[in-house]
Amino acid sequence: MRTTPLLAALAATTLTIAACGSGSSSDGGGTVSLRMIESLTSPERTKLIKGLLAEFEKANPGVEVELISPPLDSADQKITQILQTKKDLDVLEVRDHTVKSFSNNGWLAELPTTQWAGWNDLTELAKKKAVEVGGKPYLIPYGFYQRALFYRTDWGMAKPPTTWEELYQEGKKMTTAERYGYSFRGGKGGADYAVQMISAYNGEALDPEKSFYLKDKKTIFSTPEAAQAMDLFVKIFKEASPPDSVSWGYPEMVQGFTSGVTGMLIQDPEVIKTVEESGVKAWSTAPIPKGPTGYAFQPVGYAGWGVTSFSAHEAEAVKLVQFLSESKQSIAFAKGNSLIPISASAQKDPQFSQGAWKAYLEAQQDPKQVITIRPVDSPGWSQFLVDSDRDVQALLTGKKSAAEVLKGWDAFWAGQAS
Amino acid sequence: MSRPAFTTRKAGLIALCLLPGVVFVALFTYYPMVRGSVIAFQRYNLFDLTSTPFVGLDNFRAVLAEDRFWTALRNTGTWVVVSLFFQFFLGFGLALLLRRHFRGRGLYQAWVFFPWAMSGFLIGLLWRWMFNGQFGVINDLLLRTGIIDTRIGFLSSPGWAMTSVIVANVWYGVTFFAIMIMAALQSVPRELYEAAAVDGASRLRQFWHVTLPHIRPTLALIVLLRVIWILNFPDLIYSMTGGGPAGSTDIVTTFLIQQVMGGDYGRAGAVGFLVLGLLLAFSVFYLNATRFERSR
Repeated sequence: MRTTPLLAALAATTLTIAACGSGSSSDGGGTVSLRMIESLTSPERTKLIKGLLAEFEKANPGVEVELISPPLDSADQKITQILQTKKDLDVLEVRDHTVKSFSNNGWLAELPTTQWAGWNDLTELAKKKAVEVGGKPYLIPYGFYQRALFYRTDWGMAKPPTTWEELYQEGKKMTTAERYGYSFRGGKGGADYAVQMISAYNGEALDPEKSFYLKDKKTIFSTPEAAQAMDLFVKIFKEASPPDSVSWGYPEMVQGFTSGVTGMLIQDPEVIKTVEESGVKAWSTAPIPKGPTGYAFQPVGYAGWGVTSFSAHEAEAVKLVQFLSESKQSIAFAKGNSLIPISASAQKDPQFSQGAWKAYLEAQQDPKQVITIRPVDSPGWSQFLVDSDRDVQALLTGKKSAAEVLKGWDAFWAGQAS
Repeated sequence: MSRPAFTTRKAGLIALCLLPGVVFVALFTYYPMVRGSVIAFQRYNLFDLTSTPFVGLDNFRAVLAEDRFWTALRNTGTWVVVSLFFQFFLGFGLALLLRRHFRGRGLYQAWVFFPWAMSGFLIGLLWRWMFNGQFGVINDLLLRTGIIDTRIGFLSSPGWAMTSVIVANVWYGVTFFAIMIMAALQSVPRELYEAAAVDGASRLRQFWHVTLPHIRPTLALIVLLRVIWILNFPDLIYSMTGGGPAGSTDIVTTFLIQQVMGGDYGRAGAVGFLVLGLLLAFSVFYLNATRFERSR
């Protein structure tokens, strides 16, 4: 019987490992451990979330939350992998890009909206976005990303451009040997700016609920207006932007503006903080430029908190999501992250109506600054994001003509509609 | 019988001792490989994983029909051959220099080998900023020293992008060759050099007739390993250019990442399968050509 102690040790080890494996479960003491994962990770944001979680734990004795913070670049892949195992995850960050595939695969629980006072404090936009995909509240947004025009006030521009044509003219005037008018984005995410211009040029014919299509069901890429927009897009690059911006993604275009190389930048509110901390002192913001029809369209980017369909502690998980979405916590989160807040009571908060934030307020009050919904729920959406960026680089480097690119996009989205 | 009997008991013990290793490798190497290969024959799109039927060779057909794949394949050739060439010769030179004794050699070696311990993605990010055409330090230095008078878009012009990513890759990989070749050099018995010197062989002849034949098998093996690793090393390119501009730095493995990002795991699996086949064919050919077995 010499093997018995060995076997016993082995069994004990196995049991321990097994016990460790099932993370989110209650132990003997009645403590509930929730496991939560974030996606758009950054060190400051993780700190902010941890602070909010500590408050939640204080308000709910017996509930512990463990936060997983994977690196930004592979976070959504990691979340998908965890979801595929259907284990050990209760609360997660769901993005506009991921909500469709997560809910399609049955990984998200429907969140209750009644019997929760916080729901009525959400802005109309937040309520709308919560149920946008699949018609059910699979997430509560925590804030919105919307673009505005950042511009230098000391580079001889009397007032900000209101149309893309004006942006081109002003940008050309600003461009000298050492500096350029516009922080162009030709790298990752660049195609989105082309789409934004094409949308503005299509004007009233565009269907804001399905923003890659016109009201008559044709794609926005099929029109002569789209061709005009594309030509101007290339002209802005060639005559008013740094040649290097073919490869610029988010960090470079922001750096271009904050280091005084470019005079105009179109970006999300989170950049406000970056510009404030930079050497650029004379700057302001304005709503994004419009097309010749007087319209500007842009989607509002969002992400939020959701609960997994397989959570062992759904009640506590829902409670956590609601806690994070209530006005005090959500305003703190929006402030810390420079996001457009989800709480209706934030409108009374001076921070969101002053200085650089004014442009966002102005855009919200303008009926011709329209918020759209992109077809993120189409099967080909992710593919298009990858392919279209590449097409834009091919266009800028002269490997493809504007007509070819538009024809390809038109065919792609006509195919997705059928 | 002088040989001990091979009993079932012993066989059982051997099997038991081997088991953890076999299980580990099977679980973490072969299972994912097989699973990935199976996905290549399925419609496996992240958009809807509730239905993943087998579709035969559809994924392969779709991949092979794409111009981008063929461009990536051509670029892969350039990427591997040019990177390998410079890594090999610079690494060899470095190893020969580091073989000599000098003050602070240990410290110097540690510094030289440092890049090898860094993540490829991180190195890519560093080079991405250094090569930046507008505010990159490389352009700044070239301008200040008067070598150029207008900035070069290292990562934004299709002509320069491949050169730039290869420069970064060479910087990263020289170290590996230096480490391996240095280890091989240390295994050459000193007596051989002494004997050669007595026979009146010059330094060059010593190198040619003593050093080289001795380390040849090692060289053949590390070149093979490097070819496989360079081909499977999209990290650097992905973080520097994402395969751009317009696909001019795409190699097969960055192309594969793009398929994954696009959510089409089936097609990504097909690309992976093709890469595997390519490397296998290359390895067989290469090992035959270098007669690795016989030269040992």
